[in-house]
Amino acid sequence: MAPTQLALLVLLLPLASAAIIALFLRRQGALASFISVGACAGLAAAAFMLVFGGQRNFPASWEWLQLGSLRISLGFKFDDLAALMLSIVAVVGLCVHVFSLGYMHDDGAKARYFGGLSIFMFSMLGIVLADNLFMMFIFWELVGFSSWLLINHFHEKQSAADASKKAFIVNRVGDFGFLLGIIWCYAALGTVNLTEIAGKVQGGAAVETWLPLFLFAGAVGKSAQIPLHVWLPDAMEGPTPVSALIHAATMVAAGIYMLCRIEPLFAAAPAALNVVMWVGVATAVYAALCAITQSDIKKVLAYSTLSQLGYMVAAFGMGRLWEFQDGEHGKVKVLLLAGAGVAMFHLMTHAFFKALLFLGSGSVIHGCHNEQDIFKMGGLAKRMKLTFATFTVGVLAIIGFPMFSGFFSKDSILLLAFERNKAAFVLLALTAVLTSFYMVRLWRLVFVGKARSDESAHAHESGWIMLLPLLVLALLAFVGGYEQVLDANIFRGVFLEVPDGHYHEHAHGVVFAVSVAATLIGSFAAYFFYKPEDKDTLAVKLPGLFGGLSLLKSSPDEIYTYYVRKIQDRFALVLNFLDQVVLGGFIIRGFAGFVGLISLGARALYVGSLHAYVYWFLIGAALVWGFAVGVFQ
Amino acid sequence: MNVGLNDYLILSALLFAVGFFGVLVRKNTLVIYMCLEMMLVASTIALVAFSRFNGTLDGNVFVFFILTVAAAEVAVGLAIIVALFRKRGTVQVEELNALKN
Repeated sequence: MAPTQLALLVLLLPLASAAIIALFLRRQGALASFISVGACAGLAAAAFMLVFGGQRNFPASWEWLQLGSLRISLGFKFDDLAALMLSIVAVVGLCVHVFSLGYMHDDGAKARYFGGLSIFMFSMLGIVLADNLFMMFIFWELVGFSSWLLINHFHEKQSAADASKKAFIVNRVGDFGFLLGIIWCYAALGTVNLTEIAGKVQGGAAVETWLPLFLFAGAVGKSAQIPLHVWLPDAMEGPTPVSALIHAATMVAAGIYMLCRIEPLFAAAPAALNVVMWVGVATAVYAALCAITQSDIKKVLAYSTLSQLGYMVAAFGMGRLWEFQDGEHGKVKVLLLAGAGVAMFHLMTHAFFKALLFLGSGSVIHGCHNEQDIFKMGGLAKRMKLTFATFTVGVLAIIGFPMFSGFFSKDSILLLAFERNKAAFVLLALTAVLTSFYMVRLWRLVFVGKARSDESAHAHESGWIMLLPLLVLALLAFVGGYEQVLDANIFRGVFLEVPDGHYHEHAHGVVFAVSVAATLIGSFAAYFFYKPEDKDTLAVKLPGLFGGLSLLKSSPDEIYTYYVRKIQDRFALVLNFLDQVVLGGFIIRGFAGFVGLISLGARALYVGSLHAYVYWFLIGAALVWGFAVGVFQ
Repeated sequence: MNVGLNDYLILSALLFAVGFFGVLVRKNTLVIYMCLEMMLVASTIALVAFSRFNGTLDGNVFVFFILTVAAAEVAVGLAIIVALFRKRGTVQVEELNALKN
């Protein structure tokens, strides 16, 4: 098949599945689930044919709308970056679909769930393939909608309904900035096509600092960076596979992906890149601190996702690193590292190990009969051997244990930070320590020691349909960082810019030592500090620190609540007053009252006697006659 | 005796006035209806007279139209009055006030 047809197939298969489920199969959960999984398998197959077919940047664009001079087209831009993202989404999506077959087996609203997964796949793939910012924005919003749908799956629970609304509204804030950025981009550069933008910027078009920052606002919302991070931890109200797919591996990574798509804009505005970097660093440290006090297994992973997304954003914000090397013709300027490539590298490894961790936690929750409190678990290593093994691989990958995928990607970020900004490097290294700390804490409390509740004492291993995706993802989480995977010429355009440690022997030595030390310090501290008890050891031993961290975690929500209650609601009250009095009272009711008054008089003429009407008629005729002959002039 | 245009117009006006006051003062729908017809006839007299004294056929053509329309109107109007009488047992206008209040 031609690549364009394959790309269309990839995009439209999940849409077809979602449409069939929504229109015909609302009550047939089993059939709906098979159709959805089948569609996902089909799109994954087509995606791999497309990715490994080797064709890139084939022309595929159709004009959709023309408004004056503004043309909006729908098309595909399929370069190495899109190919990489497409592979990630397809693999993780398929794993999550299969896992859901087991996890959601007894759910009452299976059809809605699987329909939601399909519409999500459609929207996400639209973002991946879009060739212009408007199209990307359309799918960006669709992704927000499907995220809302899936967080809201258990909508009879008030907290889930609230969380879905919160996610949607917080995302709207970011999306508004994104939309402004797109409009500005069109105004400044005259195009929203990604290829043309890159061409114009490299051709020397000036880029204002604020332009990429507005676009970055979209990524702040979707990738849950400070200050719009508040929705992601709450989004854990959704079913666990959804958290794995949307709120860990793919959708939240869409922000990073979007940044990489418009990287030329940032490259032309270094000040904007600096802001991006510090937002990322702040999020990474903040979220890692918050993760330490969480007791819900999914919340720990949610904050860890935030922290890792911060890593990616920070990596992106560090921009490009050039070096002059001795070449055949004297000094040659060589691109060593690019933040975009490094960010995508970490995005890929993170997608694998975080999906693995979330699905593993789903298996744990499933095995413990919906118990999510890690202080009520314990000793699951014996009862859930395969889940334990795969989860351990995930933990080792995320803490950056040598030879696991996370090690390579985290190392390249640290290396870039070391070269660019020492302060950021220190903070990111601190984050690495914290990451090891809270992940090993989670791992120890869940899997080691004795069971601390009936649920965990009677935990059972999940079925094969759930274990299979775990094994696949565990394999990927292990091998995802090796050069054989990266340099296979498939994603060359992305990974060309990722260092393999040969250029900077000295710097890499330092970074390597710091990275391994961070991992080991954090891990051992957590392993020996936390006792397998019902209570958080930190809360018992250092209540002050624990309280401080909890406060840190809850304060953004409180600030927003304060803002909404005290400022926004009051402003809304003023607007409401204006609406009620001026618009409603004066203009609308005023006009209506005036007409009513006239009709009151007109009603008095209506006496119900035919003769009266004839007299009115006579008067009317006389008046017409009078006007006609000019009596009244 | 020489009959001029004014005489016809006076006759027409008188007939019209009779019809009009009949509509004003009579209470019986049937009678009101007859008075309305009388007003129509009065106007046709005026039109014929105009036509005759102008030497054109315009007025006569109008009269044909009025006759046709009046015939149709009578058919419908009388049917309504008969139906009204069957339904309400009366055709006195002061009692036909269902729309009031």
